[in-house]
Order: sequence, then structure tokens, then C-alpha cells
Amino acid sequence: MISLVQNEITKILLKKKMILIVLLLLIFISLLAYGQKYSYDQNIQKFEAESGGVEYDWRSLTAQRLDDLEERSANEFIPKEVRASVDREIQQLTYFIENDINPITPTASKFNVQFVEQGILLFIPLLVVILAADLVSSEFSNKTIKILLTRAVPRRKILLSKFIALIMMTTILVFIIGVLSTLISYLFFQQWGFSEPIVTGFNLVNGELNANSTILISRFQYTLLIYSLLWFVSIVVASITLLISVVVDNSSSAIGILMASLIGGQFLQFFLSEWELVKYFFVTNLDLTRYLTGSYQLIEGMSLNFSILILSAWALLSLIISFIVFNRKDVLV
Amino acid sequence: MDTSVLKVSNLTKKIKKNQIIKEVSFDIKEGEILGFLGPNGSGKTTTLRMIVGLTKPTSGEIAICGHSIEKDFVKAMSNVGCIIEGPDLYDYMSGYKNLELLGSMSKNVTKKDIDEAVALVGMQGRIHDKVAIYSMGMKQRVGLAQALIHKPNLLILDEPTNGLDPQGIHEFREIVKKLAKEKGIAVLISSHLISEVQLMCDRVSIINNGTIIRNASIDEVLSTGEVVWTVDNPEKVQVVLKKRFEIASTINGNELTALVDVEKLLKINRTLFDLGFEIKYVENKKRTLEDLFLTLTDKHKIG
Repeated sequence: MISLVQNEITKILLKKKMILIVLLLLIFISLLAYGQKYSYDQNIQKFEAESGGVEYDWRSLTAQRLDDLEERSANEFIPKEVRASVDREIQQLTYFIENDINPITPTASKFNVQFVEQGILLFIPLLVVILAADLVSSEFSNKTIKILLTRAVPRRKILLSKFIALIMMTTILVFIIGVLSTLISYLFFQQWGFSEPIVTGFNLVNGELNANSTILISRFQYTLLIYSLLWFVSIVVASITLLISVVVDNSSSAIGILMASLIGGQFLQFFLSEWELVKYFFVTNLDLTRYLTGSYQLIEGMSLNFSILILSAWALLSLIISFIVFNRKDVLV
Repeated sequence: MDTSVLKVSNLTKKIKKNQIIKEVSFDIKEGEILGFLGPNGSGKTTTLRMIVGLTKPTSGEIAICGHSIEKDFVKAMSNVGCIIEGPDLYDYMSGYKNLELLGSMSKNVTKKDIDEAVALVGMQGRIHDKVAIYSMGMKQRVGLAQALIHKPNLLILDEPTNGLDPQGIHEFREIVKKLAKEKGIAVLISSHLISEVQLMCDRVSIINNGTIIRNASIDEVLSTGEVVWTVDNPEKVQVVLKKRFEIASTINGNELTALVDVEKLLKINRTLFDLGFEIKYVENKKRTLEDLFLTLTDKHKIG
């Protein structure tokens, strides 16, 4: 079994997918970190211009941001959803100032979490799809499935070794995302900020931010928490991708189907948020991080536990079907 | 004790409502080379796919060294090396890496086994190059090597000489014959190249439209000739042939044509003579496998 897993890892590595993924990460992380640095510098310049070159600290910057938000919220013409989200941010910033928590100075430990928050819905699942989509289907499209399945190894072991290799590579991918986003953003911000405190565990009750259940932890702990959630989400996406890869004999169709589901899932969320069934679709549940930050939610009645349950069910079902289909499949290539 | 390395009995495969393989049975013994002949689309590859477990039969039994392929897949397959429809390898790695990877999937395959297989197929020079830049012939050679690294008792080769040059075909034939003779490996070769089968095989099975229409040894096949008698009373002779020798024949004027084993011809002629028929002329057309193949498959044309 160990040698089977080794073989599968060799195949993934020799296909040079990881290099492509790391390149993509390097480009996007650098762009985002640069963008954040740029807008922070702009903010400071603006602050200095308005207050006549006085020394600034994060409190005054946050206060300024709060003013901006309140102005926006007072605008009668913005849509209901946007106002709800702005109001939520106002409440949160107020809470931060009261509790002496710096939400505004960019640091590496803030950036690596923000990168996950932004990427967990689409970008990072797509990277997992790139890694996993051709795991089985490429064996069919290159016809190598014939030499793989005519060895004295039962089919279920072959698929299991592929799945274990995939879990290992996905874990490495999550690790790489963490390391790259931390290191690159440090180059831009020159601050780690891992010991800074952060509050998490906000609740949204009827659109009002409820801080009763919040806990104070360090940025470092928070990063670990967010990356564990990302790891879980990535494994779920990998399992679903494995199923598509087993069912579809063609690598490009497999990638196409998964991209369409990921992007289509976002549409469903936005346009059919009142339809009960939408919340059982896996894409709708991918963004686990929003439950920690208390972000505005499109669909009522979803919680962290609910989403983890739904995602686990999707992953488990995908695996069971993958194994059944792979075991019974007639190889006709 | 059954000495068959491969025993196929009453194999049937249905895809949707089409019966592609109908009640196919044959067996191969140690050291024997069986040629599996048939035109395109006759069911050769489908049968081979079922033997190596790539597709599942609708009904029928396949046993390799006594182990059922469906019930005891691992034991059965540890005795088999195969190339099914072209030597498809991982083209993003070297030929050697391919062999290492596939070798690690069987028990007890050592580096020495791999080197021996590479030397046997004559690929020492280029084995560390990427498969993507191999020619078809080189892939065939590595394909044969991957089928041999785990020292199988049964070798299944589907169209193995496609893409080889005449020199390569000759070498290939010698390798297979040597393996069968010296190591007692049973070989099943499917082909539509009759000359190849004639030169290499001990026995042939001819398949058409999913049915085996002839199972025979090469010698038997080659000694069966088309005999044309020119006689005075062809209708009566036809009855005699049918009753006494169970030979079917066709009448064309004064001529009676039948497929007859050359060794029996003398006996038949004596009987006809004893019964008082006048034989004006007997012609024995000694045939090649090609003639047999064409007549047999022609009778069973599709549609």
C-alpha cells in the first residue's frame, strides 16, 4: 500500500502541477499584498492631508474609517444588503476600538487570514481541482489505466492509494498557501503581528452583531483555526473532484464540470438565496470563515456546524460513489 | 490436475442488447502459443479485456492457473503480463521509471528483473529517455518489458507488432518463441496478421462476430485442403461423404468441392472407388492459413 501511494505521489509530482499552482499563488499573493500596502499608504496620506501632518496611530485611522462607513450607511440609495454589511462592519469596528484591538494596520498574520477569506470560495478550490481533476481521468484519457488495472492489485486499493496521495498533496497545498501568504506579505508590510489579539465568534442575531459569545485569542491561534477550516474545505473539494474524475473519462471535461459547479454555485447563492434547497449545495457551504468573522450572510439559517455537516456528507457520499463506480467500471479505452 | 494456464469457458458479453461475445471457449497449456485471429470488430480485444479483468463478462468462466479472475483477481493476475491494444505508458516519465512504478505493484520485482526485461527487449540504450519522445516501436518494446517484469506464466499480447519494423517483428517473434520454449510461458497473441500467427503459433482460434468458428492446431489447419473431385454422379458422392465421413460438400456441375484433411483423402478415395464411383480427377488445393481465414470469415459475414 505504501508503495502504491508513493507511485501516485510520483505521478502527481512528475506532472508538474504543483509548480503551476505555486506560480499562480506567487502571482496572486504578491498582487494582493501590494494592493493592500498601496491602499494603506493612501489612507495614511489622506489622513495626514486632512489632519495637517499630525502623528497617526491605528485608533485615529480606525476612527476615520468609521466616519467613512457611517457616511455610506446614511446614504438612502444603497441597496439593503450593502447597508446590512456596512452596519455590521461599523458595529465590529466600534467593538474593536472599545476593546483595544487593532483591526487596520496590515500585518503578515492578518494578510494570510484575509487571503483565505477571499480565496476559500473559488480560488483555492480551483487550485485543488487543478491538482485532483485528472487523478483518475488522465489514466483513462492516456489509456494507462490498462497497465494500472492489470496488475495483481485490487481496484479498490488503487483508488484508495490515489485518494491518500491526494489528501497528502492537498495538505501540502494548504501549508504552501499559508507559508507563501505569510512570507510574501511580510516582505510588503514588515510586520508579523502574530501576538496581537483578535476577537472571534461573533453571532448575527436578526442582522445585529452579537458579541456575547466572542473569545479573545492571539492572531497566531486564529491563523491556525482558519487554516484548519481551509484544510477541511480543501479535502471536501478534493473528494468531490475525485468522484467527477472517476465518472468522467476525460480530464478536461472533469475540470470543466467542477469549475462550472463552483461558479454556478455562487450564482445560486446570490439569485436564489430564498430557495431552501440552495443551502444543501456544497458550494454554498464552502465559506466557513465567515462564521468566525460574523460577516453578513446571504442565506438565513446556516451555521458553522450546519455547513461542516453538509460538507462532510458531500465528501463521504462522493467517496462511496467513487469506490462503487471505479470497482464496477468496464475499461473500454 | 488440469494443466491449462488459461481456461476460458462459455464466455459471453452483452453491451446493452448487443451480444458481442457468444459462448467463447478455449484454453492454453504451458509453453503453448495460441494465435487469436479475427477481422476488425470480431470481438478479439473484448475477449482479451475480459480475460485480464478490465471488463466484466456477462456470463462464463475465466480461470488463470486455476484461479477465477472474478473471484480471485489478485492471485489470477499475479500470473499475467499483458499488452492490451497498444503499449500505453506514462509519457511524462522515462521508460525505466514506468517499469519501476509498475514493478512496485507486484511482489518481489527487483531491479535485476527490470534490467533483465530491458535487456531482453533490447532497450538498454534509450530506457532512461522520456516515453513522450519514443517511437511506436520503442513503446512496443517497453510495453513488452512491462508485461514481463513480474515473470508471468501467461502472456497476453494484443496486436503486439503494430508499429514495429520488419527487423523488430522478427526479433519480437524470436523473443516470444524463446519465452514459451525456455520458460514454459503460455502466450495468447491476437492479431489480424495471418503470416505472423502462422510463423509464431502452435494453435489458432479463429473468431468472427463474437463466436469461435475454428479451434485447431496450425498443422491441422495447414493440412486441411480444399479437394475437388470430378465424378460421374456428384449427388450420390455427396451423400456418401456426408454419411460416412461427415464432410459437407458443394456441387458445381460434375465437380464436388469439400474441405478435407489431407491424411483422410486416401481413405475417402478408396471408399468411393470400392463403391463403384468413377473418379475422373481429384485435385488437392493445399492451403495457407490465409485461405482458411478468408473462407471461414466470409461465410460469417456481418449482417
